[in-house]
Amino acid sequence: MKKDDDFMPKILTFLCNWCSYAGADLAGTSRLKYPTSIIPIRVMCSSRVDPLFILKGYLNGADGVLLTGCHPGDCHYQSGNYHTRRRFAVLKKIFENLGLEHERLRLSWISASEGQKYAKITTEFTQKIKELGKNSTGTEIFL
Amino acid sequence: MDRKIGVYICECGPNIAEKIDIDKVIKAVSPLDDVSIATRYKLLCSEQGKKFLEEQIKKNGLTHLVVAACSPRDHQHTFMTICENAGINPFLFQLANIREQCAWITENKEEATNKAIRLTKAAIGRVRYHVPLEKKEIESNPDVLVIGGGIAGMEASLHLASPQRKIYLVEKTSQLGGVVTNLEKTFPDMQSCPKIIQDKIDQVTNNDNIKVYTNCEVTEILGFFGNFEGTVTQNNNEDKTTVGFNVGAVVLATGCALFDPTDDPNYGYGKFDNVITALEFEKMNLAGNIRLKNGKTPKSVAIIHCVGRDKKGYCSEICCMYSIKFVRYLQNKIPEIKISNFYTDLCLPEKSYQKFYEQSRGKKNDFIRIDSIKITNPGNKLTITHNDEQGNKKSHGVDMVILSPALEPSVDTKKLAEFTRISQDDEGFFAEEHEKLGPVTTSTEGVYIAGCAQGPKSIQNTLIQAEAVAGKILSSLIPGKKIEPEVKVAHISESFCIGCKTCLTVCSYGVITFDSTKKVCVANEVICRGCGNCVAACPSGAASLKHFTFNQLRQELKEAVL
Repeated sequence: MKKDDDFMPKILTFLCNWCSYAGADLAGTSRLKYPTSIIPIRVMCSSRVDPLFILKGYLNGADGVLLTGCHPGDCHYQSGNYHTRRRFAVLKKIFENLGLEHERLRLSWISASEGQKYAKITTEFTQKIKELGKNSTGTEIFL
Repeated sequence: MDRKIGVYICECGPNIAEKIDIDKVIKAVSPLDDVSIATRYKLLCSEQGKKFLEEQIKKNGLTHLVVAACSPRDHQHTFMTICENAGINPFLFQLANIREQCAWITENKEEATNKAIRLTKAAIGRVRYHVPLEKKEIESNPDVLVIGGGIAGMEASLHLASPQRKIYLVEKTSQLGGVVTNLEKTFPDMQSCPKIIQDKIDQVTNNDNIKVYTNCEVTEILGFFGNFEGTVTQNNNEDKTTVGFNVGAVVLATGCALFDPTDDPNYGYGKFDNVITALEFEKMNLAGNIRLKNGKTPKSVAIIHCVGRDKKGYCSEICCMYSIKFVRYLQNKIPEIKISNFYTDLCLPEKSYQKFYEQSRGKKNDFIRIDSIKITNPGNKLTITHNDEQGNKKSHGVDMVILSPALEPSVDTKKLAEFTRISQDDEGFFAEEHEKLGPVTTSTEGVYIAGCAQGPKSIQNTLIQAEAVAGKILSSLIPGKKIEPEVKVAHISESFCIGCKTCLTVCSYGVITFDSTKKVCVANEVICRGCGNCVAACPSGAASLKHFTFNQLRQELKEAVL
């Protein structure tokens, strides 16, 4: 268990500017605590996240990738998050088929008012990644 | 070009300084390529801080700026303005959020410092790939095309018209006023309706800044916010005269239609005499002639609420109230009349509606809750058979039946939605941009909706929307003022595009069109909102989003996880 505690994973986190990024800011201003494993990347809409970014991040050494966006029906750009959801589902399948650990990917809807949910999900996901251990793919696969 | 990146870390008073080892961050980023200076300052958003930063950019000849401080939602704009003042393009800047999403989320200073280093490195990695972007300004036309000459369209036109702003009001029928011209009184105040509507019509027709086109239909709308081109065709003559004009905004106020009760044979509409719709009754009442087919005055009337509600799947909001208004009409004109109201649910929102209902109940006026209903005509007497709440079958003979049908989208909704590139909701009405946050705007900037075209609503709520639309236009389309379109927009490279049209299908704003000569997709940057959906969808790498390009994000995430 000692070893587990020392390991601070790197979790690449994509946040949409209008919902989740504001939710993450709210978690901070509310002084909620969550692991520093979370590395935020701000995009205007979750639908900007090319699945290739997730794959690249994963192969470049991210131990987990968290994708966040507005709740279904609340997309700032009407339907971007629905496209995100489909692409994510396909990417998960691709990961499975390639024998990559799809458990290291997670999609979550977080609104601008859900600072608590953001803190909770990032904590849970970090715990999960800690259980999975370090992502060794980056050193094993050359693309 | 030699890049000279300046990295400035804000202490934010104790907010960052106490939680992050800033000197360690400076030490970590100083040796990075292109970083010509990395230093700290106590409060960069203060007046002194802003001055300091501006002088630093000039003094050190910086080409790019990275600030590690608060959330971009707080001070991105502040720092971009400093860049502008110091003579560098404001888009050659990146803000690393080391306060809200770093300093404030942990008590562990070492961990916070490590994360701050990652975030600052990611910002430096990203800013290297930033390119200057120019804000654009385009001329706009303040005039407005209003489609629909009912109360919503007239109200919006009256608020908008001014010597600096011409209004083109297009009405499909031969006269202004819409459905309200059929009503004798409004609920719940029982004010005279013909007077209200005639006043509005007079104001509109006497207004020099409103040009009314009756018997006309809109046949084309092209362009974008500030610069639409509308074409209107006269539909009462053989030659189909058309007229075109330029406007900056379009208001859809086309009202609604009524559910056709012949769709449900249980109501006997169209089959039996003396079964009429609410609108037919309004007309009969306005003419002062509530009579049966045989010319006699009815002694008993049934008013059926919720006609078509099950089929449409939504409550039409106003039928209960106008049905109760009918009770008032009938009680006034035929004092001895017996009235029965059959409803599945009573909808009485708003502050005065409940009272209106309670005051309309009486000995000769029943409200009966029903489960199902059937109207038959044995021996030429209308008979209503229904199941009550307990499931008992009951029947009831009446002289006249008034059906209060659901409101449904008007026939032109689909066509106009296509012209303006907006969507329709599940029920077929024009879809607003957001049910709560954008109730009168639509997915096309500069296209607004008012009244029943957006969904069933009362006259008062229609006027509220018409005024809201006017407010939106008055504050965004100002005569003589240029408009600034979004800068961080999509661009499709002609040479990389394979013409697969994938981007075209994911765009919610109709930004992308297909050039059939060149066989490539083209993005209209003026109307793009910059979500980047098309970019993630493009299989050939032809689409890119300015300021969120593949390389910029790629470098950011690469540094972030290194």
